[in-house]
Amino acid sequence: MDKKLTNVLVSLAVILVIFAVVMFALGTTKSLGPFNFSVDQATLVMRFVFVIIGLLIAFAVYYFTRENAAWEVGTREVVWMAIGAALYAVFSWLFNGTVFVVPSLSQVSLRPAIAIPMFFGYAFGPVVGFFSGAVGNMFGDALTGFGLSPQWSIGNGLIGFIAGMALLFKDKKKSMDTVLWVSGVLAVLTVLLFFFNRDVQNGFYFAASEPVSIFAGLTIVIGFVLVLVVRFAFASNENIAAAVTWGMLGNIVGILFASLSDIFINGFSLAAAVVGEFLPAAGPNLIFAAILVPLLVGAYAAVQRQSGR
Amino acid sequence: MLVAWRYSKREKSLIQWFDPRAWIMFYLCFLFSTLAYWDVRYLLPFFVIALIVLFTSRVKWWEIRRAFIFIIGFVFFFTILTFLTGRGGTEIYKQEHLIRQLRASFSIFGWVPTLDITVERSFFAVSQFVRVFSIAIMTILIPYSLNPALYGITFKGLRLPDKIAYAMDLTMRFIPTFGRDFQLTMDAQRARGYELEKISGGLIAQVRKLGPLIVPVTIHAIIGSEDIIDAMDLRAFGVGPRTWLDQLTYHRRDRILVAIGVLIFVVSLVGGFVGLGKFWVPPELIKLAGG
Repeated sequence: MDKKLTNVLVSLAVILVIFAVVMFALGTTKSLGPFNFSVDQATLVMRFVFVIIGLLIAFAVYYFTRENAAWEVGTREVVWMAIGAALYAVFSWLFNGTVFVVPSLSQVSLRPAIAIPMFFGYAFGPVVGFFSGAVGNMFGDALTGFGLSPQWSIGNGLIGFIAGMALLFKDKKKSMDTVLWVSGVLAVLTVLLFFFNRDVQNGFYFAASEPVSIFAGLTIVIGFVLVLVVRFAFASNENIAAAVTWGMLGNIVGILFASLSDIFINGFSLAAAVVGEFLPAAGPNLIFAAILVPLLVGAYAAVQRQSGR
Repeated sequence: MLVAWRYSKREKSLIQWFDPRAWIMFYLCFLFSTLAYWDVRYLLPFFVIALIVLFTSRVKWWEIRRAFIFIIGFVFFFTILTFLTGRGGTEIYKQEHLIRQLRASFSIFGWVPTLDITVERSFFAVSQFVRVFSIAIMTILIPYSLNPALYGITFKGLRLPDKIAYAMDLTMRFIPTFGRDFQLTMDAQRARGYELEKISGGLIAQVRKLGPLIVPVTIHAIIGSEDIIDAMDLRAFGVGPRTWLDQLTYHRRDRILVAIGVLIFVVSLVGGFVGLGKFWVPPELIKLAGG
């Protein structure tokens, strides 16, 4: 077995052990200081099986694509990682209400910067995407004066990472359709949760203590429809369609990861995490993705034609 | 062309007396310890540490003026917002004691603007201000006191792999440059009649308006990267283990600093688990409010 494969296996095993300790040992206690690890004991084994399946999927993706060029990190990737992260940090800082206040509508936060990790992931691969999202979010928050929140950095990293997984599939059309289905199902599920929990408050700092508005709850559907429009309007230009659909999946999975982790970190309920945090963040992001990512992909294609690289 | 942060070597500066790796570790410990507390009594020592660091850093006021005014405004804005709406504290305190209720003498479509000043809200605002401001002071000072030539070796010294350390180094160097590029692009677009501030059109039209700012800056950065990539390739980047021009060595003071940081962190973590440092309001005030 080569060294890289052993490394990946070891890190996955470590993650599994951490989960086992948290779920089986800490899960029985109600809460531990600021953390809440309590796990429903009746479905404990079932939940643990899901963790194992998740890790197996991660390993399978790596194992079957390990010869793929998308995982390579050379000089170009190092520079692109830095550029992506710096751009994401600068744009987040500028649009976090410092230089511009992008008018925010009915408790929806607007973060145009989100197009950067999606575009960098799609154009330059999952590793560049992950670094741009995670490190860019870290520096952006530090510049604004928010401090760090590691789970949101990882979530932002996942956005770029998943956007970059488009490169791993040979058949772009087929993979795009699968991605559309998966994202559609996730969007519908979260919106259903919203309609069953209409009284949950918007979890973001700047929103007043009001329940999540209908508009905020439904932005994810609006975003999904916009992505669908882009997907079929640019059916002839596969690059734009694929960048937008994969960016959408990245956005849904990444933000879902960050909000669900708040169940453990801040002791939120499932409804508070999904309705209060996920929907007001992920929905508007999708609208930005559907509009700004095609612009970036189109402009980059023109640059490539000109420079021949 | 790269633009740099306003770093300069400062004599007798406390931050610069330490090894940058030790300082970053101390900073992380400080940050995560602060986040464990909402009790203003526990937050005050952190605030004092931050102020000591600020006043011994020898950074001149005019250098950090802009950044500071912005942060102070930002922290104030959010503190006042949470104070007015009561938002943010609701997970932390359950019961509110009213000091005074201000009611507007007019009504807008049947809605009378009312402001409830409660003990909890006021103290939550104070705690929040102290907490966020301590973190902000410590964060702002880093770019002013960390030598750009040492970024790479600092991250390498924190056990990151060569390539990631170099990418972090480049990221920190690119941030001020892209900030400048953004400003230039915006001025250029304004000169051509571009108006971002003009709010008109629907959501989609407004988002599209951002295109002329985001696209040129991003594409310009990518085109510019070719020169950097060529320069790095010509120097055989990534072929073997990397050596760095400067070397860092830990002194005794650095070990002491890291030890103090770790100690603060462990104490805070244990305190947090035991349940110390939760949101606190002086009981006298509650009595005063008639609770």
